Amino acid sequence: MTSAAAQLAPGAAPPLRKFARIAGFAGLGAIAVLAGASGVIARAPAGAAGIGPALRPPSFDFLFGTDLLGRDVASEILHALTVTAADAAIAATVVLAAGSLFGFLAARLPWRIGDLGLWLMGVLNAAPALLLAILFVGLSSREYAPLAAGLAAAPAAFLRAFAKARELSRSRHAEYARASGIGAMALLKRDLAYEIRDDGISTAARALAAVAITLSTLSFFGFGAVPPARDLGLMIGAARATYFDAWWTAAFPALALILFVFCARLAAGLDEGERP
Amino acid sequence: MSEADAAVLSIADLTIIRAGAPLPELERFSLQLNPGQTAIVLGETGCGKEALFRALCGASRPDERISGAIRFGSLGPALPQDRQGSGLRVAYLPCVDQGVLSPSADVLSQFVRILARRLGLPRASAREELRLALGRIEGAPPVAALRGRPGSLDPGVLAWGFLAVTLAQSPDLVLADHALSQLSPMQARNIAGAIIAAQKQLGFALLYAARGTLATTWLGGRVLVMRAGKIVEEGPAERLASSHAHAYTQMLYKSATVQSPVQKHTIRGEPILQVRGLRFAAKKSERNTADGITLDLRRGASLAIVGEPGSGRRELMRAMLGLDKPAAGRTIFDSVDIGILSRSMVSRLRRRVAFITGDDDVLDPRMTVRDTVEEPLRAHLNLSREHVAGYREAALKRVGLNSIPGERTVAMLSSFDRRRLQIARAIVSVPRLAVIEEPQRGLGPLEQSVMIDLLKDFRAQEGPAFLILTANFALARALADDAMVLKDRHVVERGSLAELVRAPQDAYTRRLIEAVVPRPEEGLSQAVLQG
Repeated sequence: MTSAAAQLAPGAAPPLRKFARIAGFAGLGAIAVLAGASGVIARAPAGAAGIGPALRPPSFDFLFGTDLLGRDVASEILHALTVTAADAAIAATVVLAAGSLFGFLAARLPWRIGDLGLWLMGVLNAAPALLLAILFVGLSSREYAPLAAGLAAAPAAFLRAFAKARELSRSRHAEYARASGIGAMALLKRDLAYEIRDDGISTAARALAAVAITLSTLSFFGFGAVPPARDLGLMIGAARATYFDAWWTAAFPALALILFVFCARLAAGLDEGERP
Repeated sequence: MSEADAAVLSIADLTIIRAGAPLPELERFSLQLNPGQTAIVLGETGCGKEALFRALCGASRPDERISGAIRFGSLGPALPQDRQGSGLRVAYLPCVDQGVLSPSADVLSQFVRILARRLGLPRASAREELRLALGRIEGAPPVAALRGRPGSLDPGVLAWGFLAVTLAQSPDLVLADHALSQLSPMQARNIAGAIIAAQKQLGFALLYAARGTLATTWLGGRVLVMRAGKIVEEGPAERLASSHAHAYTQMLYKSATVQSPVQKHTIRGEPILQVRGLRFAAKKSERNTADGITLDLRRGASLAIVGEPGSGRRELMRAMLGLDKPAAGRTIFDSVDIGILSRSMVSRLRRRVAFITGDDDVLDPRMTVRDTVEEPLRAHLNLSREHVAGYREAALKRVGLNSIPGERTVAMLSSFDRRRLQIARAIVSVPRLAVIEEPQRGLGPLEQSVMIDLLKDFRAQEGPAFLILTANFALARALADDAMVLKDRHVVERGSLAELVRAPQDAYTRRLIEAVVPRPEEGLSQAVLQG
């Protein structure tokens, strides 16, 4: 009763996952437009104090209320979203290059060099990404927080890519190709091309979601964005003192962060990266 | 009690229609099976037997509409799902590569779990039942042989395991779904013998779905030939194999019979492959190596290495082509001693080798049809896509795949299409040597016949030397000039193929030949099988 024709093509996503991806990309696109046009859309420039009375609750005048310095929370969220999205994009690029791509290449390195890389990344992956990011920020400076967040998330991406590349290089079809004289470089190019086509977007979106949380947490603890630039994590962190009296100062930035991460996860097709 | 009351399975006017399909998958199918009887549903893929078995197993697709009646045992018309209520013990005997087992778990523990669930026993008792069942089957391996993941076990061992799980359930009815396909002819024959022996002892009825006609030879019984959802004709195998049968039935039997021997090719000069005293081990850690094997394969010639899986035929090929390091000996391929070359040079030399196998996983499932055929040209010669397009289209046309969209992925192709794609890929690479390993495995009789014709055409036009690895003397006879019989990594017999088939000297060779050309007293006459 088996039928090869009945198998789904690799990379073919079930309808629900396809829908999630489309919804996720639509959300990310909307966030990118909002972030890009924040200078125009926002009522006040970034960090402008005294726009309204301090700690004014949400109202028609101030949709998301104002903070302790009388800044319009809605405008601040738009500006912070721009910083968060830009930093997350840089960090995600680092994850893809230093994690996924390096892992994919390392799996094919000769003389057990790849195994050494695997061991090293396994050790790094055992540490929480946030602590690693704090360590990297400590070794460099807060300006390099996106790089630090990217490097901290790289071990997990490396391990996933390494496992996938090993599986591919040990597959029957790779063995068959090698036996008929297809070189290692041609095989690598082929696997990389198909991996980018089938999984590139998911991997990038997954990395974006992971680093956005790390970056925001770094900023929350004061290791991330450097004022006057404020990202969503820094906004939430700054609202700690007023949270129980003025919930909107922290709740709306947190909702914006949740929305950003949620859209990124949807764009990844809610894929955890592990394959059956 | 009437005959209908005694039946373990009665199917009346069963029709299965799939939503949106122009024709029914199965149309007014009727069958009655009494205890001890065998019925074989014979037909190619898509003939309706798959839909029938799905319906019998209660695993029909959601978009399949079923009408008619299926009755298990003496109860009234019932749906397949209700068969538990009939008190009838129905066992399912699958094909070894059907994906019934998890690829990442131990086979023995999976069998024990299945048996424990089916019999409602604790696992320790189920394991004992399995051990006893294996012990009762003549020729079956011990229970310890089932240790390991499905991919690491020989298909024959897996098939014995499945049979033991089936028989341990003391079934009244066995639904065997291509259970003998994917096995070498000798394995298939032994297992068919075990099924018949168990049937005599336990008295179960057997419904077997078959693609190839060899199963009808070994199992006997009533054969229902199916095509496009309808029964073309039914009757005993001997009659169906005769010239009095329906034209379609004759075609099925003729295409599966021993192929006409290959026309002797002119040996065109120098050897392409010279092997001298080659010794190889089954595993890297193993010190026990084969006798030093020496052979010559000349340009355009064809040599079959005939042996069961595990005989060492694959290890020999790997050692010959430098895929594994041999324990001793040397191989000269195309006038170059591959033992003195670096790995990259051996890899370059292997560009002159093409592989065509019966394994569906050897083509990258992510690649498109177009890329799969183009890859050897583009990787070896760095040619642009425009330059290779003509070669690609010509090769696809020759194997009959030109109507398939080039952007379709390999994963979406059927087994038959994948095999033809392998030939197209081999055609464009114009190899000096083609290694061919069981290319007909798991295909229907007509598809096998097409494969052999394509391979003959490939040999005639591109002129590579053929190195055929098979357990099937019928395939060897169709494609090879000479043969070397291998058993336990030792050469048992070698010589011209025609001579070997005519007068085999060794008992093992004789058994291999008889696995595809049975003796007259075993069923169909040899004359009938040879068409």
